[in-house]
Amino acid sequence: MKIILFMIIIFTSLSSYESEDRLKAVIVGKVAKYITFQDKSKEEFIITLYKNDSKDLFDKTYKNIKIKNKSVKINYIEDINDLKYTDILYISNVNSSKLSEILKKTDDKNILTISDTRGFAQKGGVIQLYFVSQKLKLKINTQSATQQNLKIKSTLLRVADIVKGKKL
Amino acid sequence: MKCLNRKKIILCSIFLVNSLSANENLFDEDLEDILSIKTELKANIGSRDGARDCLTSNAPIDVITEQQIQDSGLTSLTDVLRYFVAGFNAPETSIADGSDHIRAFTLMGMNPDQILVLVNGKRLHTSSLLHVNGTIGRGSSHADLDNIPLASIDRVEILKDGAAAQYGSDAIAGVINIILKGVGYSNKLSVVSGIRKASDGEQLQTDLFVSIPLEYDGFVNITLDMKKQKQTQRAGVDNRVVIPRVTTHVGIPDSKDYKALVYVEIPQDNDINIYSEISYDYKESEASAFFRPDNADSKLLYNDGFLPLIKAKIVDYSAVIGIKGALPHSISWDLSNVYGANNLKYSLDNSMNYTLGINSPTSFDNGSLNFIQNTTTLDFSKDDKKFKLAGGLEFRYEKYEIKAGDYESYMGTGSQGFAGYHPDNEVDENRHSHAFYIDSSYYFNSKFMFETALRYEEYSDFGESTNGKIALSYKLNPKIMFRSSGSTGFRAPSLAQSFYSQTSSFISSSSILSSQGTFRVNHEISKALGAKKLCPERSKHFTIGTVLRPNQKTSLTIDYFYIDVNDKIILTPELLAQTQEQKTMFDKYNVSAARFFTNAANVITKGINIKLNYLHDLAKDSSLDFGIWYNYNKNSIKKTDDNKMSTIDKSSKDMLENAQPKSSLKLLTKYEYRKLETTLNITRYGSYSQSSYKFDSAITTDLNIAYNFYKNFKISIGGLNLFNTLPNKWDDLDGDLYGTDSIKQYSRYSPFGYSGAYYYMKTSIKF
Repeated sequence: MKIILFMIIIFTSLSSYESEDRLKAVIVGKVAKYITFQDKSKEEFIITLYKNDSKDLFDKTYKNIKIKNKSVKINYIEDINDLKYTDILYISNVNSSKLSEILKKTDDKNILTISDTRGFAQKGGVIQLYFVSQKLKLKINTQSATQQNLKIKSTLLRVADIVKGKKL
Repeated sequence: MKCLNRKKIILCSIFLVNSLSANENLFDEDLEDILSIKTELKANIGSRDGARDCLTSNAPIDVITEQQIQDSGLTSLTDVLRYFVAGFNAPETSIADGSDHIRAFTLMGMNPDQILVLVNGKRLHTSSLLHVNGTIGRGSSHADLDNIPLASIDRVEILKDGAAAQYGSDAIAGVINIILKGVGYSNKLSVVSGIRKASDGEQLQTDLFVSIPLEYDGFVNITLDMKKQKQTQRAGVDNRVVIPRVTTHVGIPDSKDYKALVYVEIPQDNDINIYSEISYDYKESEASAFFRPDNADSKLLYNDGFLPLIKAKIVDYSAVIGIKGALPHSISWDLSNVYGANNLKYSLDNSMNYTLGINSPTSFDNGSLNFIQNTTTLDFSKDDKKFKLAGGLEFRYEKYEIKAGDYESYMGTGSQGFAGYHPDNEVDENRHSHAFYIDSSYYFNSKFMFETALRYEEYSDFGESTNGKIALSYKLNPKIMFRSSGSTGFRAPSLAQSFYSQTSSFISSSSILSSQGTFRVNHEISKALGAKKLCPERSKHFTIGTVLRPNQKTSLTIDYFYIDVNDKIILTPELLAQTQEQKTMFDKYNVSAARFFTNAANVITKGINIKLNYLHDLAKDSSLDFGIWYNYNKNSIKKTDDNKMSTIDKSSKDMLENAQPKSSLKLLTKYEYRKLETTLNITRYGSYSQSSYKFDSAITTDLNIAYNFYKNFKISIGGLNLFNTLPNKWDDLDGDLYGTDSIKQYSRYSPFGYSGAYYYMKTSIKF
């Protein structure tokens, strides 16, 4: 009986295949742990989704989760002009001209911009998410991070590809 | 008793809690652990609305990953699919002329020309070879999967559903979509070296993948692949010669293969992406015909008989250039042109032409086959959350050529082993087609999805075809999904089927030079025998299935399929003149027997695909990936027209219905422990028949053990068919050429060949 119990615990303990959307939702908040933001006065840690359909998934993922010892609030916007205070801006489904507008809008606002848009890091975003061989990878534009007054810990930089992008 | 029940309850509770709670708190995992989690397999096939998780698709899709390919020690894509995909069959043939050099394959029992092959979603041209011998896939021309270097492949998606309404002709049994590596892959150098248990069939393969990053995640990916394969020899004793001995080569042929593939994407700052893919493959291969024993003619040049060696030089290349971009309102577009060509040049060594006697050369140029395909496509798609719409236009041009061999190869009785193509066989034909298509997907809610496709196509040679598809899926809950699809399809007769001919001559008993062989459909001989212009094969498809996901680690898919193909094109048996009109025509051309292609049969293929996948981490540093894949398929000729059936002999009927295993079961496992990776695959092939002789089912075992010495340096050792399983020999057959103790002791239909165990070592370095 003990052996069976042990086997079941071992055999049902950990991993699984995850959907890309869920991994993206998790990593968006996870990377914040390795980044120092300037403004620490707000009571909530805010993640704003720009044109991303996964608000329910983000709500579920960050229910009862604390980032920087703050509870997490998920906002959703479809127009960049509706952007209010946020710690992270997660951008989806944008073309280059819109992306350029968004990055200008967030410039120097101490916002961590994250996107899965191709070439995002080189175009001036801070963290780009992409997948290779079914695994999530990160690209970080340290120049953009500096411009946003974000300090990134070496732990995060070590697992990411570092790129240099154009200055805004 | 009470105690037992309590234990059962505890066990169930632990199992349930564990399985439900797996990864609920993913956020609390270490960053590196999150980055090492594998995502659901995605596939771009079966729908034009972008990549979607395989388990949410409306039809069954198998995906073979780069990792599986790299962990296998296999060196060709045909073998990769044969080893991993249940229902994919690709026997190794021998003494079958061109079919020895370009291997035919089938999916769920259906011919290779009923399987559409795409590379990155673009149609791959077919080879110029038409299989006309008694091999699997007889009568078909198909894309040569082995032209693509394995190191360039990210994954291979196999859609097991009809999709002609989406992709056009050929997508009857399914679609194979080869996705090339894109951005982010490491440079890699690999060397594989192996040998058969019988100490022959040595193989050495080296491939190099280099990725040069460009701005905005663009890249230039270059893959080089070189492979040298020595022959295996499994021939039995030739009892026709005075002192019985092994005279003929039976086994995998000698070959050299050089491949290069360059894949480039150059994204611009303004959402425009320019892309190109250029591939080149040069292959030299040498196989034999049957040994020609000593006779009065051969004595003039050879003292003790001779073994004709058929050589093939195959040049295959393709070039894709395209540009894609995005417009406002979530509209994207893609304009591309794909040019592909395949040239197969035959030559013969160690042979002779009996008619030329002592003046006969021993080497011949036997002519060549050439096929060109050019496809221009403009695609649009609009993604509007719940509603996705895609459509496009396609224009395709095809050209098929046969060029005659040198005079000595076809004159008189022709060169022994493989007669050269005669000037009468020469052909230079082309056709074009255009198509319009539209696909839509509508997500009613998070549970119910509905998909339609419609495609109109017009060919310059046979006219038009309009096909449709409806597919839907319903998620009862997150753990249970039902799916179904129904569609119509077609396959345009290939130019090769319409215009191929190869005739050879011999001196008849009345000392008259007479010819026989394959005649064009529009040749007077074929017409006299009843040949009509080929029309397309038309098909109807139906699938219904379910996807069960009891937890995130486990998935089970069960899908039934039914495919009804009308007017299947078949190569007739050699027909003799029966009527006076036919005899007159045969006399006119000095023909003794003839065969040709005809729309001869209605064939029903039905069966089931079952797939169980299970992934799990045994402890922090180890995991077990486990799969059971099963396919059952049954081909049956539906007798609808007695007249048509007269063109199918028993051998053709047997080949269609019984030459392939009806069932295939694969147990795929991968165990990882720190730096150690072990892959163990066990396959059970069902029984099959050839010429009324039944061959038993068999089990083969493949093992790969790899150790990562450093982060980027890996050494693998392994074995394919580790325990040297061989098919049983012909039972109670005592022919000279085929039989238990004759030259060919095994059936050419053996799904795992007859060369036996193969052991290899593989070294790979990432840099």
